[in-house]
Amino acid sequence: MTAAADPAQELARGADPRSRRTGGDVAVDISHLTYDYARAGVRALDDVSVQIRAGEIVGVVGQNGSGKTTLTKHLNGLLKPTSGRVAVAGVDTAGKRVQELAAYVGYVFQNPNHQLFASSVEVDLGFGPRNLGVPEDEIAERVEQAIAFFGLEAVRGQHPYRISFPMRKLVGIAAIYTMRPAIFVLDEPSTGQDHITTRKINELIGRLREEGSTVICVSHDMQLLADVADRLLVMWNGRLIADRPPRDVFADRDVMAQTKLEPPQVTEISLRLRSRTGALPALAVPELAATLEHALARPASGGS
Amino acid sequence: MQGVAVPVSMVAGNSFIHRLNPIAKLVWVLAVLVISFATRNPLFLIALSIVGLGLVTMAGIWRQFSRVMLILLPVATSLIVFQSVAPAFPQPWTPIATIGPFTIYQEGIYSGLSLLARATSMTIFALVMIMTTHPSDLFTSLSRLHVPYVLNFMLAMTLQLIPVLQREIGVVMSAQKSRGMKSTGFGAVIPSFVPVFAGAIERVQQLSISLESRAFGSSGHKTSYRQVAVRPVDWVVGIAGFAFLAVCIAVFLNTGALDMSRTLIFPPALAIVLVAAAAVLFVGFIASAIWVVIRA
Amino acid sequence: MPSERAPIIEFDRVSFQYAASDAYALQDISLTIDEGEYVAILGLNGAGKTTLELCINGIIPNMVMGDLEGEVRVAGVDATDTPVREMAKTVGIVFDNPEFQMSQMTVAEEVALGLENLGVPYEEMRGRIADALAMVDLVGFDERMPLALSGGQQQRLAIAAVLAMRPRILVMDEPTSNLDPIGKQEVFEIAARLNRDNGMTVVMAEHEVEVMARYADRVIVLDGGRIVANGTPREVFAQRELLERIGLRPPQATELALWLRDGGAGWTDLLPVTADDAVTALETRLAGVAR
Repeated sequence: MTAAADPAQELARGADPRSRRTGGDVAVDISHLTYDYARAGVRALDDVSVQIRAGEIVGVVGQNGSGKTTLTKHLNGLLKPTSGRVAVAGVDTAGKRVQELAAYVGYVFQNPNHQLFASSVEVDLGFGPRNLGVPEDEIAERVEQAIAFFGLEAVRGQHPYRISFPMRKLVGIAAIYTMRPAIFVLDEPSTGQDHITTRKINELIGRLREEGSTVICVSHDMQLLADVADRLLVMWNGRLIADRPPRDVFADRDVMAQTKLEPPQVTEISLRLRSRTGALPALAVPELAATLEHALARPASGGS
Repeated sequence: MQGVAVPVSMVAGNSFIHRLNPIAKLVWVLAVLVISFATRNPLFLIALSIVGLGLVTMAGIWRQFSRVMLILLPVATSLIVFQSVAPAFPQPWTPIATIGPFTIYQEGIYSGLSLLARATSMTIFALVMIMTTHPSDLFTSLSRLHVPYVLNFMLAMTLQLIPVLQREIGVVMSAQKSRGMKSTGFGAVIPSFVPVFAGAIERVQQLSISLESRAFGSSGHKTSYRQVAVRPVDWVVGIAGFAFLAVCIAVFLNTGALDMSRTLIFPPALAIVLVAAAAVLFVGFIASAIWVVIRA
Repeated sequence: MPSERAPIIEFDRVSFQYAASDAYALQDISLTIDEGEYVAILGLNGAGKTTLELCINGIIPNMVMGDLEGEVRVAGVDATDTPVREMAKTVGIVFDNPEFQMSQMTVAEEVALGLENLGVPYEEMRGRIADALAMVDLVGFDERMPLALSGGQQQRLAIAAVLAMRPRILVMDEPTSNLDPIGKQEVFEIAARLNRDNGMTVVMAEHEVEVMARYADRVIVLDGGRIVANGTPREVFAQRELLERIGLRPPQATELALWLRDGGAGWTDLLPVTADDAVTALETRLAGVAR
């Protein structure tokens, strides 16, 4: 009710060309989703409505406890709505088990240690498709593709617990990749990772986009989301308070102050220089550098 | 984002039992433990249990107490069912009734009932202690009695790890179901438990480095933050516990542990009703447990 | 940095090899950290950050098996040959996973643990616990259960648990990598406050270069167990090629200035390492152009 009628949100949807960039089918359709943790007596989600189209890359942001994970856990049926409706790939999750939805939605948990168990990376990569009943020869093929796609050749025979943590994180994503879901949910893919691993994950999301996958990425890493996301869903206190492209969200001082989120540093700098450059907030360093080179070379028209 | 809930934890309160020194309570728990193992007399054990329930009332913990007892009910019913057809009792057995292929033995009923009464009396006293004592007070008191610090610490850690492991199992099960794992059957065991154990090992390794960095495991003089008072009444209750134990043991030694296996005779009808009711309850519990697992 | 500061941590040609490994985790590390300094340690996972930090309080080699060469002197004593119990009075260490540092039933007892181990008398203990909890903004949390706190609160508790032991050096190993933005900010602010107001030496391993550029007096970069850069944030972050080669990046503010310097616009000012630096410098230049 409130989310759909939120004027700021309506405005944002209309004004934003990037969220309609892809004309794909509706991949995720959430309407009036409310969820209560009955035992704790806590309303974790309060009337959330959102649509995600096939091929979109969507970031979910907010502090811990704001409802991000509660929202994404509805996408593969780990949680079922207290009220409202969640449909993925046209299927209502209400009557479906997690194992059935696994064919549509690949959920990558934050900590790969919670997922991986097998005696070798290769075996672990085959676990998901085997559960889905994929024929053995196709499983072998998918495992080979995943090893190539994620660069796991060197560790394919090793025990998942014996490889480095960043590598394990990639294996965790690869183990979902072999299930070929149309929709990926990534929970904090870059948390605690160094720059190289974050860059790899960034590239990986780009390649998933090229393959036409829908990616929903829960993250505190604003630089990552600035790079990859078409839209950000901003969660606060169980409510969806903004659903706009990263550029607009970062520029919205009210939303940023309310949620205590901070934009990437380059975006912050561009926002503080905005009165002088007159340019849109930048999401990446080269972008702002280009704007500034332009502004410094030729005097801007007026001061406003 | 679920909180950590300890399944059997202290219930806040200020009753006489709450205020009693943990060691005095521990004496009684241990005394009841020894006594319960020393006799098979169901009447005596039932009487002991009733006294225990009196303490539950005194402590005002009925609601939380009964919730835990309910969880233990399947164990209790299984004792009666299995014992009555296959008594843990020296042969010969006296058959008193038959249901289909099963023969119910007099010794089985006696053995089942006494085992049940034994388990009940011990559990009641143990629960009263656990639910009225802050674990830290217990551990502090134990270290006063020169129970080794490390042993004490391991006990405390184990108690803490139970809810954490429960939560971890939940997360891992969710992760594996998200990978299409069927949640029942033997095939689910390794994917569900390997990550939990690996995680527990990692936790213990990192915790031990963190603790060592805080001078844990050093051999010097230690002090204690929690101060547990020892009042005269604690001495009285504690000594009374020892006295009760001594009296009971003396009585058992003189009476053959109040054996009633030959005198407490069950009429066949009563025996059948008892076993059938227990069986129905037991099967019902197992069925509902399976139902819960399948639905998950 | 005032020059009268005395060295408190000295590594002299330190190398370390874990028992189960055939590669060096640290190679020929020589470094001096003065009392009151805030030092950031950067590097990829596996570069040796944690290993270096564990040498400071003697966990390596006293508790972790391996071969250590060279000398580590901390606050005047040989850290390799002093019981960890003694070192705990000088060096407090906080790790990345807050939950893996919690062991007690209540917050107050978690803080008390180290004091009990040191044999601090009860009355003094109470005061120290209250002080430590106040320093990390956890006043009134005494009877709460550590495992039921949020990640940020747990990490602050972990800090309090070492602060109560009154260390002169606070070593932190990626303390915010498991926290949300609010939790990160709180932990960074507490560390900065302890350094600024209490003169505590802070050694912090982190991936967040923007934050380290803001708080650290000095940045040390590790790669493959060796120190490859050691200087002020400005000195270190200017070395873009070096950072790139080992898989790190400078803060975006510095990157922006480097981009402008190499492009047509030029950059003659000091390199900025924080957003404030960059905005100030750029505003001046933009104002100049507009005029």
